[in-house]
Amino acid sequence: MVRYPFLRLWGMPLVLVILILFGLLAALLGTGIWHPLSWMALSVPMLTIAWYVLKKRQ
Amino acid sequence: MIKAKNIKRCFFVHRWTSLICSLFLLVLCLTGLPLIFGDEIDGWLNPHPPYEVLPAGTPMAGLDGIVHTARGRYPGEIVTSLFIDDDEPQIIVHLSTSWAEVMKDHPDSTHYIRFDARTAKVLEDGGTRAAQKKTFIGVMLDLHRAMFAGLPGELFLGFMGLLFVLAIVSGVLLYGPFMKKLDFGIVRKERSSRLRWLDLHNLLGIVTLAWMFVVGMTGIMNELSTPLFGLWQMTDVKAMLAPYHGKPAPSPDEMGSVQAAYDTAHEALPGMTVTSVVFPGAPFASSQHYLLWAKGNTPLRSRLFSPVLVDGRTGRLSALVKMPWYLRTLEVCRPLHFGDYGGMPLKVLWTLFDVATIVVLISGLYLWWARRGFYGS
Repeated sequence: MVRYPFLRLWGMPLVLVILILFGLLAALLGTGIWHPLSWMALSVPMLTIAWYVLKKRQ
Repeated sequence: MIKAKNIKRCFFVHRWTSLICSLFLLVLCLTGLPLIFGDEIDGWLNPHPPYEVLPAGTPMAGLDGIVHTARGRYPGEIVTSLFIDDDEPQIIVHLSTSWAEVMKDHPDSTHYIRFDARTAKVLEDGGTRAAQKKTFIGVMLDLHRAMFAGLPGELFLGFMGLLFVLAIVSGVLLYGPFMKKLDFGIVRKERSSRLRWLDLHNLLGIVTLAWMFVVGMTGIMNELSTPLFGLWQMTDVKAMLAPYHGKPAPSPDEMGSVQAAYDTAHEALPGMTVTSVVFPGAPFASSQHYLLWAKGNTPLRSRLFSPVLVDGRTGRLSALVKMPWYLRTLEVCRPLHFGDYGGMPLKVLWTLFDVATIVVLISGLYLWWARRGFYGS
């Protein structure tokens, strides 16, 4: 990943954008299993924030 | 590669769009928090006694009887609309002294009576005028939608939403050059507090980017809904109703059965649920027709409402109205602003995203303030 500067910079943001859009639409357009899938997808950004805010730097 | 000159431009746009909208956006984020749980808070602050337990599948009581009861309670007033809940077994009848009064659109211009949808018993009579007071959620909604300023307030907040979206876009453009040499998510705590807040601003902003963008855009769309519906009314609806223009509305005695109108709409739209009926005479609908709103039964189609016009005297079908594309888009996207469409976990997540947005706004203000001080000294 270090060798691809574009991915190093934009990889995580892109993954998060895709997860959020998936989460927002899954709950809107689906029923049943799509709701838990939506909750899981939307939890990832929140966990990401918690991880980086709480993490100790080496 | 973004050139230095363009970075400067982006920075200029980012600073000014966010500075102008930040305080209003903070109000929106804060009033939005209780609105996410609006149904729960309303149910908790204004509890209804539980519904009578009846066997599942008990049919709906006749609408004519319900309307008759409502008119009997308030002789001399007109029934303006009724709402048939598809969530709870209740039917709400709205009354007013006249259509002119309804059009004034102030809190006292209409009042309601709640009926049990199966037994047609009166559950609650909201009473007229002074007896009705605003609920907490109602006040929050007024503040959130229009800052108590009606349509001008809606348009103003819509414009603030536009600035917010511009701030998001320019923020993303700045993220690249800012983070080029840094790892994703870095929060430098041991250096200056300005640096720590800058890192937090960048982290929370980029992580919640898509949510802020979607909620911002759908917020703008919601603020534009009044003029968009008005536009439709003044063009398509007006053209459709032109043949009936100027004819007097049927008096309550001349009015055909509302139950018949309901049945007509049901037959015309199999598989759809009628959720509300506007009575003949409404200045925003038709003087000659019952206007019924029906919605579909799948997750997507349940967001799409189809208007049906039924002759107010004969109860015969007059027209199935097709909504224009811009209103259909608005209706489908609308829930994306509220986060109330995926159960309690989605509401909790919505709250967390909202709080993250508040942190982005406040850290942004702080960064501007700190930098300002830095140049000043």
